[in-house]
Amino acid sequence: MNDLSNAQKAVGADIAVRSAPYFPRRKKAITGRSIAIIAFLSVCALFFCVPLYVVVVTSFKTMDQIREGAMFALPNVWTLEAWDHAWNSACSGTRCEGLKVGFWNSVFILVPSLILSIGLSIVTGYALALWNVKWAGPFLFVLFICAFVPFQIIMFPLISMTATLKVYGSIWGVAIIHAVLAMPVLTLIFRNYYKDIPQEIMSAAVMDSGSFWKIFVEIILPMSGNILIVVLILQITSIWNDYLIGVTFGGMGAQPMTVNLANLITISTGTVRYNDNMAAALLTAIPPLVIYFLVGKLFVQGITAGAIKG
Amino acid sequence: MTFRWSRWSPQLALVPAGLVTLVAFIGAILWTIYLSLTRSRRLPEYAIDWSEWGRQYERLFKDDAWMISLQNLIVLGLGSALAIVFGFVLAAMIDREKRGESLFRTVFLYPLAISLIVTGAAWRWIFNPELGAEHFIHSIGLTWVNASWLARPETAMYGVILASVWQSAGFYMALMLAGLKSINSEIWSAARLDGVGMFKLYTEIIIPMMKFTFVTCAILLSLGVIKAYDVIVAMTNGGPGQSTYVPAYFTIQALSAKGNLGFASAAAVMMLVLTAVIFLPLVLLTAWQQRRSGARA
Repeated sequence: MNDLSNAQKAVGADIAVRSAPYFPRRKKAITGRSIAIIAFLSVCALFFCVPLYVVVVTSFKTMDQIREGAMFALPNVWTLEAWDHAWNSACSGTRCEGLKVGFWNSVFILVPSLILSIGLSIVTGYALALWNVKWAGPFLFVLFICAFVPFQIIMFPLISMTATLKVYGSIWGVAIIHAVLAMPVLTLIFRNYYKDIPQEIMSAAVMDSGSFWKIFVEIILPMSGNILIVVLILQITSIWNDYLIGVTFGGMGAQPMTVNLANLITISTGTVRYNDNMAAALLTAIPPLVIYFLVGKLFVQGITAGAIKG
Repeated sequence: MTFRWSRWSPQLALVPAGLVTLVAFIGAILWTIYLSLTRSRRLPEYAIDWSEWGRQYERLFKDDAWMISLQNLIVLGLGSALAIVFGFVLAAMIDREKRGESLFRTVFLYPLAISLIVTGAAWRWIFNPELGAEHFIHSIGLTWVNASWLARPETAMYGVILASVWQSAGFYMALMLAGLKSINSEIWSAARLDGVGMFKLYTEIIIPMMKFTFVTCAILLSLGVIKAYDVIVAMTNGGPGQSTYVPAYFTIQALSAKGNLGFASAAAVMMLVLTAVIFLPLVLLTAWQQRRSGARA
């Protein structure tokens, strides 16, 4: 066991070295070129911030002030009225119960989706990376292709299948589809992570205790902290931000928050309350934004891993 | 007993994923291809009239909205390519000037964390014809500027492009930054010693060195463009008229709004073909890269 934990440490050290910065920063005197570059980057940063700024100020304005048309002005009176409307009484289709319905749907979709998608792909990735299984190579290749298949080509068959299984239009239907569609990419991510585990660890573990599941739970899972967090963040944001799966499989009863928001901003009967719309947009954006500002680096790792490995 | 289980467990553990692949991906794709050959309308029909098996495809390419979709796909692809250029410029500048790197990275990447529906909602509001940015620009005296792009068929696509570039430029910046950091630091000092100009250094040395990163970005961008759906729904709903239809939107409209299953399946098959055309170079590229890294090791 001592050897084993040493090897485990070695793997950890290897990862730490790889993520260390390549270039130590040196203090330089500010030159004219530096100032020009920083000025240019700041202008670009401004361009990235403008939409967020507009959305935030609009959500705190009254409709009277919005009708004056000064889009970039700060609110005369800061009011939470629009936030209250968006949360409690905004209309999505014919129901006017606000975004709180969609918010809770999104939360209830998120939990089983995470468990199903990560559970399915972590075991598959582990088996493909560390055990001699038949057809591992071709299977990985097929998964690689599946990761790129456009959703539209499997949309109708999946609707038929979920309808047959009587989960269409329910939280479970949406969660199962999330797990199915995420499986290829996540499996490839886990497999790429596990394949770097030294063969000696596996041989020692097989000698020591033997069974597939015991090794998984006692040795592999404790080593997977890094990758699990990266995948968790990737999945939370992509499931929360998903619209297409929610609108296709949510039916009437299990529409996530993004679907409510899309209904609110596109189907507008009577006078459009722009401040409500913007407050609703912010409410939908806040959960992933909080994650992003808390653990931005891991978020970026997840996104790039998902895009490139997938 | 343990020994036997350890031999069979890995195979059994792959059964769920194997079933999902077989049923939900391979089976479903074949099912849709089959449906595209039938006359299915609202409900699936499984009789194929072999004398005119291609009629759905014929109808598809005679459909104006589909031709608009294909045109818009190219426009959106070329327009969104700006995100790669923009991302590279941002990455190069951040990499040259290390000050404020983490702040700028955070700002340029936050749009990626937000749902495209939210992005669309924000830009839809900015492009609002009565109360949006146009009103503001006119009020400071520039009355000749037309900024309500989404309201007019000729410019609506540019609005969508602007929102997509805003959303994805940070992503390409992150990829480019990783590429730039992997370039040997000696190149910079060697170039300085030789007195190579900045512009020449980038166009003749750095960009050719990063061609793999650029190709990856281009492929990811193309695949993203084919999948573009959310942003269209949130910003224009395909309108005005059908001026912002794209294949992904067209296909789902044909299925859910028109209820024409065979026709929608044919469109979906064409989407798969488009994806394959872009995907094939990626497979070759990965194979090439693996061989190269294998040769190095």
